[in-house]
Amino acid sequence: MSRAGVSWRAFGSWLLAISLLMGAPGVAAAHGPDPVLGGALFGQDQRVGFRWRSGSVPPPDIANAIRAAAADANASRASRAATFAFDAGGSSLIGYGAEATCGVNGIACFDRTAAPASFTMWLREEGRSFDWGKLKWCQMYDVPPNGCYDAETVALDELGHVEGLGHHVNFSDDSDYLDAVVQTFSRTKPRVGWDMHSFGRCDVATLQREYDVPTSSTLISTCLDLDTGLTLKPSATSVTFGKTISLTATLKIIDRDAYDRLGGNWLSQRVVKLQRRAAGSTTWSTIATMAHTGAAGTYAASTTVTASFEYRAVYSTPSGEGLNGDTSPTVKVTMSGCGTSICPQSQPTSER
Amino acid sequence: MVETRWIRRIGPGVATLGTLALVAATTLGASGRSWSPPPCAGPPIAPSAADRADATAWYREDPILLAGALDGIRVTLGLAEQDRPRSMDLDAEAFAAGPFGDTVLVGTDDGRLSRLALVDLRAGCAWPIATSRDVIRRATIDPDGRTVYEFRVDRTTRSDLGVWQRALSGRGAPTKVLDALEPDTRFGRTFITAFTWSLDGGLLAVRSCGEVACRVRVLDPATGRHRVLADPGLGDLVGLTGDRIIVRGACRGLPCPVVSVPLRGGTRVVLDRAAGLATMTTLVDGTARVVLETGPGGRSLRASSLDGRATEPVGTAPDGRRLVPSDGRGGALALPPGWIAFGVEGRLPLDGAGFTRVRDLTGGRTVDLAEVPR
Repeated sequence: MSRAGVSWRAFGSWLLAISLLMGAPGVAAAHGPDPVLGGALFGQDQRVGFRWRSGSVPPPDIANAIRAAAADANASRASRAATFAFDAGGSSLIGYGAEATCGVNGIACFDRTAAPASFTMWLREEGRSFDWGKLKWCQMYDVPPNGCYDAETVALDELGHVEGLGHHVNFSDDSDYLDAVVQTFSRTKPRVGWDMHSFGRCDVATLQREYDVPTSSTLISTCLDLDTGLTLKPSATSVTFGKTISLTATLKIIDRDAYDRLGGNWLSQRVVKLQRRAAGSTTWSTIATMAHTGAAGTYAASTTVTASFEYRAVYSTPSGEGLNGDTSPTVKVTMSGCGTSICPQSQPTSER
Repeated sequence: MVETRWIRRIGPGVATLGTLALVAATTLGASGRSWSPPPCAGPPIAPSAADRADATAWYREDPILLAGALDGIRVTLGLAEQDRPRSMDLDAEAFAAGPFGDTVLVGTDDGRLSRLALVDLRAGCAWPIATSRDVIRRATIDPDGRTVYEFRVDRTTRSDLGVWQRALSGRGAPTKVLDALEPDTRFGRTFITAFTWSLDGGLLAVRSCGEVACRVRVLDPATGRHRVLADPGLGDLVGLTGDRIIVRGACRGLPCPVVSVPLRGGTRVVLDRAAGLATMTTLVDGTARVVLETGPGGRSLRASSLDGRATEPVGTAPDGRRLVPSDGRGGALALPPGWIAFGVEGRLPLDGAGFTRVRDLTGGRTVDLAEVPR
């Protein structure tokens, strides 16, 4: 079960923050998939075309940064989240300078109330005065000064919001800042994370949950913590000596509401091992790495039966994915006789 | 705090020149047609709340860009019944506030000096109100039309210098009414500090917003006491009454929750978990309403009592326009009680009141701004 599962989805980031202050039990202290914003999601793999808002066209350096951010989002989404592309006929407008739907604060904002039809996005203008001083976009300088904001990073943050991501909740020391580009506080040069140009793993985690993954082979974000289910089925449960049987395993993510669109997904191209033990033994031995059959989440291996054995499939918790390993229920294959073959004098009673 | 009461110290003749300089020195990269209001005669007058019923003033702020960088702020302002609004091109650090009746408070800072002026749109003139060597970031006028409240920062360090009040008449020295806010990492550095009066005019909310979350100090000018709402889960202000404050969640965009927080303790009420733009108004019977965009696409409108117990649909925005929010984001307009405004993208149009549509919440009719009965 995802530690960030239901409670994160059920409450907005603002409420989460309130709960954190109140020390509410049952809510993740920090570090999990980004919360989900309200409003409708875009369609899976929906291509969302954007163009510059008339009268508020970004200067070339900022426009290039926004285009780059769109490419960053597309390249790092690792999910079926919407993609963004500049399109002169696009219905989504991105502006620079004049404020439309932004509040009074912040360096950029978005409006996704019209999703999935469109969105709007704004970046404040270079030189805007805030109480603390003047806004500097790094892209506006040949040598970006310390204290500038990277427009590509900020635009990627906004596009994450447009996809439906809320601000990542960091550990209190912000040691996990790089896990998400969708952050409450944007960092300025030269602080670590000031120029992130891809979604972080906890951004991706929510994108995967909300939009699903493109294929069963796609790696699941390590910011998730999903339980898997493994089954194993032999082609026969009783065979004569020397016969070859095939064993077929299936691996999928457990279907839980908290897993959203990932629940019940097949998992392909993972490492599933086949183990066996002689009846009565407590020691399992790995006899094969099961091959992915080509069918989603399906793995197979063959073995020659020389005695009665119990078999199981094992999917060990991977280090590079947010999945918990699982072991299939045991299946027993009995050697029912010698058939036409010559039986050995003695049958093994345990694995060597 | 460095203060210059230049109206009193250098006399009305020079003050007049100062008023002119307010605009002339700050026409930056603009069309060259920046309005330079002549000085108003006599002492500055801002109508009290009781005398604002017939007001029709509106204004809007826009950045003036030069090669993509801010070069000035253009304040476009006018009266609903006038076809041709006027534009004042100010310094890059500038603001407008109000309207207070048919007057608008304008502040501009040229990098050495902050100046405040009160523009009387009906008379077509302006009074210089104050100058300061500190940076006056924002200012407002109280409902009595007598007192100016200013938020200032240090010119060199940009550190918070607190909120000050001064008499609009220029009599007496400014006094501090709120100290500087203590830094708080939960909110980050302060991006903007802004003022909002309660609908009944009895309280002044001073919100200091970080990148997304805001701290709100609610000042009772009558007693000088204030309450603090400092919750990093809460963001920008929608409005307030004498007993409730309506705020957004700490969001960077829309949709965003709208939350009603009792000022004297009690249960918070989420008025909408995923609202679009929002505004507040007082109905003719004196009850306050929050009006917000909600529902699929965010284009349905709903009016809600502040405790959330009474809600009713109020149709959709006309002609693809959106609700003009009450948080003063780049503009504001004078409206009678119970009326809400719609503009393209929720903004007042640059080209005059005729393009702003308004709706009477009680009767439900929607008309052009200029047709509102006053």
